[in-house]
Amino acid sequence: MEEPPCREEEEGEEDGDEAGPEGALGKSPLQLSAEDVYDISYVLGRELMALGSDPRVTQLQFKVVRVLEMLETLVIQGGLTAEALRMERDSLRKEVEGLRRQGQPASPEVNLGPDKMVVDLTDPNRPRFTLQELRDVLQERNTLKSQLLVVQEELQCYKRWVSTVRRAQDLHVGGPEFNPQHHMHRQEQCPWYSPTLPPPSLK
Amino acid sequence: MAKKTYDLLFKLLLIGDSGVGKTCVLFRFSDDAFNTTFISTIGIDFKIKTVELQGKKIKLQIWDTAGQERFHTITTSYYRGAMGIMLVYDITNGKSFENISKWLRNIDEHANEDVERMLLGNKCDMDDKRVVPKGKGEQIAREHGIRFFETSAKANINIEKAFLTLAEDILRKTPVKEPNSENVDISSGGGAAGWKSKCC
Repeated sequence: MEEPPCREEEEGEEDGDEAGPEGALGKSPLQLSAEDVYDISYVLGRELMALGSDPRVTQLQFKVVRVLEMLETLVIQGGLTAEALRMERDSLRKEVEGLRRQGQPASPEVNLGPDKMVVDLTDPNRPRFTLQELRDVLQERNTLKSQLLVVQEELQCYKRWVSTVRRAQDLHVGGPEFNPQHHMHRQEQCPWYSPTLPPPSLK
Repeated sequence: MAKKTYDLLFKLLLIGDSGVGKTCVLFRFSDDAFNTTFISTIGIDFKIKTVELQGKKIKLQIWDTAGQERFHTITTSYYRGAMGIMLVYDITNGKSFENISKWLRNIDEHANEDVERMLLGNKCDMDDKRVVPKGKGEQIAREHGIRFFETSAKANINIEKAFLTLAEDILRKTPVKEPNSENVDISSGGGAAGWKSKCC
């Protein structure tokens, strides 16, 4: 536990070594190792020894040793916990990478039932409209188509009517009594035109 | 519009697998033309052709359906209004022949009971690629008591004959009376899915 496993922390460690046992006291408490605690213990022991053999110093020495033991335990425990967490983090990282690598192609189908479909939202040709919408559009198209057919038929008839009238005028057989219907073949006749009414205008 | 331009209106329907040539059969009949490029019909389309039978002008409103399964719910809603149904298969496509029973079942389920049916084996100009013998088509038609023609929209074989025969069969059982409807009513038939056109 004397060596912090993280590489970043190594620099601080080296600094401490260079500074000798005294350097341990200048360290951040979060970077403290058991070795540092022993260094502190050594420094304190030396200074207490220098105070002589006063019984009060001896009393204080016991308490200082006790505090150093507690500090040692906390530092070692903290180091172990940190190391365990690091290992767990590394193994989880590896697991995630592994899952990501093998699961990539299969993952979209994972939670789909047999009758489900995946839609690629970036596909410009992806399905967008419902069957009902298609049905409505087709019905509207067919309605318009049938109206167009009726109009085309009427237009054809109107054109035949006009040309029949023109032909009659050229032959000078017109007049109020003239009914173009009688001058058209049955196939060409426009049954919706009353003989007494002029053909409808094409507005 | 005081009168209509025809005596009777017959509604026909074309069904069958995708790619058997339903649209081409109809295009040959309505426009006397043929196009080799295959464009899948989207849902449902129709064409109009007026013919004269027994001195009557008969307007044929012919509905062309998409054969693809994905349009099934749209196309089946048009069965109800049909007076005649042409079931088309492709003599070079065995699957389309096998599916005849499926299409006949669709007719039973969705069409009027007295609808006039007809079976067409299309693409009969492609005899070198034929996989369905003519006899098999005749046999299945006989079993179901319906008429049968081998046709070719491309070579214009039996197309007009098939449509006129179907129209004649419908005319034969049509009671002699003047129809009330005017012009082209393109309603898709009865049922909840039915609808009325806004024209006329």
